[in-house]
Amino acid sequence: MSKTGKGPGKGDKIVKLTRLFTAAGFAALLLSGTAYADPVKLTLWHMEQPPHRVQRMQELLDEFNKGHPDIEVRQEPQSWGEVYAKAPAAFAAGNGPDLLFTIPDFTTVLKKIDAVVPVDDLAKDLDAKHGFVPATIAPYKYDDHVWAIPAYNMAISLWYRNSALKNAGIEVPKTWSEWQAAAEKLGGDGRYGIGLPANKQLYTDQTVYSLMVNSGAADIYKDDGSIDFDKPETVKAYDFYSKLAKLSPADNASWTWGEAEACFASNTCGMILQFSVINTYDTQAEGDAADLGVAAVPHDDGQKESATISYSNAIMLTTKDKAKQDAAKVFLAWLLEPANYGRFLTMEPGLFLPVTNDGAKADSFWSDKVVTKYKPQIETMIANSQNGKLFGFTTGKVFPSIGAISAQNLIAETLQHIVVDGQSAADAVKAGQAKMADIAKK
Amino acid sequence: MKNTTLAFLFVSPALLFLLAVLGWPLVQAVILSFQDVGVIGSEGHFVGLSNYAAVLGGGGFWYAFSRSIVWVLGNAVVQTALALVTALILNQKFPGVQIARTWVILTWIVPTVVVVIIWRWLLSTSGGMINPLLIQAGIVERPVGFFAGRDSAMASLILINSWRWFPFTALMMLAGLTRIPGDLYEAARIDGAGTWQRFRRITWPLLQPTLMVLGVVGTLLSFNVFDVIWLLTAGGPSGGTQTLPVLIYETAFKGYRLSEAATISVLTSILLMGFAFLTTRAMTATEASR
Repeated sequence: MSKTGKGPGKGDKIVKLTRLFTAAGFAALLLSGTAYADPVKLTLWHMEQPPHRVQRMQELLDEFNKGHPDIEVRQEPQSWGEVYAKAPAAFAAGNGPDLLFTIPDFTTVLKKIDAVVPVDDLAKDLDAKHGFVPATIAPYKYDDHVWAIPAYNMAISLWYRNSALKNAGIEVPKTWSEWQAAAEKLGGDGRYGIGLPANKQLYTDQTVYSLMVNSGAADIYKDDGSIDFDKPETVKAYDFYSKLAKLSPADNASWTWGEAEACFASNTCGMILQFSVINTYDTQAEGDAADLGVAAVPHDDGQKESATISYSNAIMLTTKDKAKQDAAKVFLAWLLEPANYGRFLTMEPGLFLPVTNDGAKADSFWSDKVVTKYKPQIETMIANSQNGKLFGFTTGKVFPSIGAISAQNLIAETLQHIVVDGQSAADAVKAGQAKMADIAKK
Repeated sequence: MKNTTLAFLFVSPALLFLLAVLGWPLVQAVILSFQDVGVIGSEGHFVGLSNYAAVLGGGGFWYAFSRSIVWVLGNAVVQTALALVTALILNQKFPGVQIARTWVILTWIVPTVVVVIIWRWLLSTSGGMINPLLIQAGIVERPVGFFAGRDSAMASLILINSWRWFPFTALMMLAGLTRIPGDLYEAARIDGAGTWQRFRRITWPLLQPTLMVLGVVGTLLSFNVFDVIWLLTAGGPSGGTQTLPVLIYETAFKGYRLSEAATISVLTSILLMGFAFLTTRAMTATEASR
């Protein structure tokens, strides 16, 4: 009311307006304060689907989220079988994750649709702090940038039982001729000397390439990007693989990793090539750590040392939002801290190998119950991984066609032409070269 | 307002929904087939009919088409045989027939993934049940790799898929059988017709309309089966079970040639629509001649 009692005067109006603006100002401040208090939400896609891995990941995320009230990381487990199709579709629909687990060839696919953000500075900082194993970051360094932060390494090794080799009177094979002799001796009485897959699937790509790197056929590209698959070393590897495949179970043309592990765990296969059998052996087989043997993949008699295929699994930054990028970098840096990193690696003890120097020494890794039990095996796995290579990522140059070559499992398809269609190794490799060249041309 | 207009108004929401979820993707697929899109989300350019020329001129499409024909025919023969025998048994009167009619549907309601896991275990050479049984029975000397060869893999898949689907077909046939008037059988029996003659002269001809419908629907359903094949063999070994749906998936999501996959989809749709049109016309002509 105005002092005159004739309704609101000019002064009153000004007072009211001032109050109104002040209130609005406070409200705006409060609202902005609320917005500021809202954590930056990050969606993380990973392909570690087994429930115990999801649970361990959730424990880590809960711990991170609790320690960082301004950031909230949420996991959405995916499958490797689907993510190659699902992720591009999600990004195209504007519904992709902010952080995405990857392997080198998958990164090339997403880079092609501009879904990946370089992480040069973060990689440099983390390298300075923790020291990346060079072979783990190399597959993500090309086109003048680093495209993902390595998270864990996996390398194929040869698995066997010490007692089986001892009973057969054989030493751990180091060369191909020794390997074939061992596989022949270990077979019989309902047991197969070796279990190698022949499916048109990633596992077969991995096992075949494990032999290719041991016959001098590691490079499938030349420096100019042309395909360098059809060469005597490759033919030699396929020829030898097909001999071993004959000593494997008859249904190996439909095998994935699980069937091989089951074959080994049930003692139906004397030897297998696998990233790790520790979990299955410990929970579904004897679990006798002293009897579980692991060695480097044997090499061609003409080669001097063993090599293997290694997969550096990494995490890509896939958000264009600056606030989310900063939050994601905080999360990745936290994850690689030795105190946390070991617990991340032991979400699947004995499978995920460290990618950093201090991670390889971390108490959080070596204090795990299973890791402690199988320490000699894990040390051998780490040693094997040091000489790890990956098809398409060996020359220091990365060509986009590797995404399609890998996704179509052309290395495995070439093997099927030999073991299923009865072609000679030379003819199959020649056909494989033609198909890869056709893809590279497109 | 005319009745026709009113009727259109009533069905228009459903029609619009169908256009949105079926028509629009179909139009998009056709547009995509004239472009050169690789990975989903990447840019594409108009390339005219070059995708069609490449697909029809290459061997991959025709090979997958031939495998699809083998797949469809194999499923048709096995499922029809199994379903007919089952339906004839279930059409009899015996104690427990109602329970049997319910029980027989079980394999059909089991989820595909479960079916795949069950059969993969059963057929495995290390720990599976089938191989030891075959060896004990003296049928084979050593474990058989059911998915190791092109033809054996296709045959195994057909049997597994038929095992899953035949109850559905059997129930459809049973419905057809129950519609056949019982007095026809009674009259035939009085005339001295035996079991085989009654089946050949009464059951088989009167079951034709049901079989025709099942033939069309079953062919279309079988042709488009993807899950069982992909989960068990992924089109292998060496392309032995690579039917057209598998080829489409591989081309789009493993080969990253989305436009080429769209082209194969369009061609497959044309083939299936042609088949449906011709068989429907044939059925109409048959009905008219009766």
